[in-house]
Amino acid sequence: MEWDAFWLSCQLAAATLVLLMPFGVWAGRALAYHTFRGKALIEGLVLLPLVLPPTVLGFYLLVVLGGASPLGEWLHETFGVTLVFNFTGLILASLLFNLPFVIPPAQRAFEAIDPRLREAARVMGLPRYRIFWQVELPLTWRALVAAAVLTFVHTLGEFGVVLMVGGNIPGETRTIAIAIYDRVQAFDLAAANQMALVLLLLSLAAVVTTFALSARAAVPRRSE
Amino acid sequence: MDGTETQTLTVAVDQREPIPLTGRLTVPAGKLVALVGPSGAGKSSLLRIVAGLLRPQHGVVKLGASCWLDTERRVWLPPEARQVGMLFQHYALMPHCSAEVNVAMALWRLPRRDRQRLARAWLERVGLPESHWHRLPNALSGGEQQRVALARALAAYPKVLLLDEPFSAVDALRRSELYALLATLRQELTMPIVMVTHDLMEARLLADEIAVIDRGALLQQGPTEHLYRSPRNARVAAILGIRNRFVGRWLGPDPLRPGWGRLEWRAHTERDDAPVIAVLPARDKGRIPLGQAVHWVVQNDALTLRTCDAPPCPGNPVRLAVTVTSVRSSGDFSLVEVALSASPQLCWQITLTGRERHRFQVGESAFLCLDPSWIHVMPIRRR
Repeated sequence: MEWDAFWLSCQLAAATLVLLMPFGVWAGRALAYHTFRGKALIEGLVLLPLVLPPTVLGFYLLVVLGGASPLGEWLHETFGVTLVFNFTGLILASLLFNLPFVIPPAQRAFEAIDPRLREAARVMGLPRYRIFWQVELPLTWRALVAAAVLTFVHTLGEFGVVLMVGGNIPGETRTIAIAIYDRVQAFDLAAANQMALVLLLLSLAAVVTTFALSARAAVPRRSE
Repeated sequence: MDGTETQTLTVAVDQREPIPLTGRLTVPAGKLVALVGPSGAGKSSLLRIVAGLLRPQHGVVKLGASCWLDTERRVWLPPEARQVGMLFQHYALMPHCSAEVNVAMALWRLPRRDRQRLARAWLERVGLPESHWHRLPNALSGGEQQRVALARALAAYPKVLLLDEPFSAVDALRRSELYALLATLRQELTMPIVMVTHDLMEARLLADEIAVIDRGALLQQGPTEHLYRSPRNARVAAILGIRNRFVGRWLGPDPLRPGWGRLEWRAHTERDDAPVIAVLPARDKGRIPLGQAVHWVVQNDALTLRTCDAPPCPGNPVRLAVTVTSVRSSGDFSLVEVALSASPQLCWQITLTGRERHRFQVGESAFLCLDPSWIHVMPIRRR
């Protein structure tokens, strides 16, 4: 068991969550409540990482952000920042490939709120932040927590994009999924199996949690 | 009851798109105006315009001197700035909050302790038992939810109260209890109240004034009895459920009787040679040109049905020989339909109560006595 790889994966997943959840909730809510030109295009782009092979996404990130690209060059010269083959680059890639795991579920959760509830809240004069905290969040938190759990586990196990953008630098970009691949390449199946089992159990727990949360949201409560 | 000044609500809307909506509505302080009309007429849209949930193409909404909406002057107050109390059609209670928290939410401007105290006071006032205060809305019956919604709408002392089909989701038994509750609360309410309903009985029972809306146009507003006695046109009469509507021609003032005119009752107005049924006296208001094709209506109050052997009606009524064609009992009253013996295609409907309702059988001949001072004549406007 390579604990430092596991730990790195956890850090990556946590960083992704912290950065992506606020943005994802905001974006999902905006998509749920507003209609605007180009909405379908944005919804499509958000889903793209789901259908795109991870290596393709990783490849283009390398092309766009790598030191040879104008953007990569500019970033390096202006801010001294490199976004490939390091942890920051991994976070950026991870944010992108987790978009479809956060924004569409958040959008559906906000769309499911009876619009009359928000209208009633507005007529009562509640300020927007109160409407969000007292009406919208209590009615969407299950879906949002489910999305967060999936995102976390999905990031733990992501392989293709991470390998393309991060490479395999121990302590910097060597995540648990890459460590598993590495161990198999080295015919160290016992170590690979240990780590694979951890990921399997975590994924299973995540899926069960997600289902449990959405099932409780769907069950109609007692009525007379 | 709260000491704040309350004023007249005035609404004027002129909109073509997305749905046509035109007309004016005036709701004096402390009065309840019922907006009635068929479904899809624009009743709820009008209410939403007052609440600020809908912005019309052109329109003005004012409460006393304060302007909430004026599209010409680009004035628009968002709903949160209007201090309106609104009871939504299916109550729109927060499903994750108890009855008490739902009411307290409307009091968010107050300190936390006052919120709870006032919310409880309101729940008590609308008659929700204390054991139900901590229940979620879906553990409450429809009538109980309605009470909570009413408490929530009133809790923050709104400047205008809007009721959108408040009783439609409640069964008939609970409904009469809620009517009584609203009537009791109203004695202390000083703000203008607008109630949308498709139930005419409810409107007549609870409202001071009725405003009739049809296909997006506000047709007429007035005190309930006035509206029933003098609807502006045949469509208003139809929406108000005035059953006895007929056509004819206005023959002008009666030279022998000042203040009265003569109405030629015809079977139809399609052709000029339509058979004349009778010439009836009717009040002359001097507004209808000679020979004008007219609709005319008579309210039930003006009608008496008499058996053939009964002594003549007192006063000077019009007596019509009729045959009873149907008797339908509906609760405390019966709806009796009679056809003119001379022209059976012309039918009258009359409601009878008490002992009267058992006196007539289908097929029986009778006399329909009509007090002509109740005849209301309206010119037919050809489009």
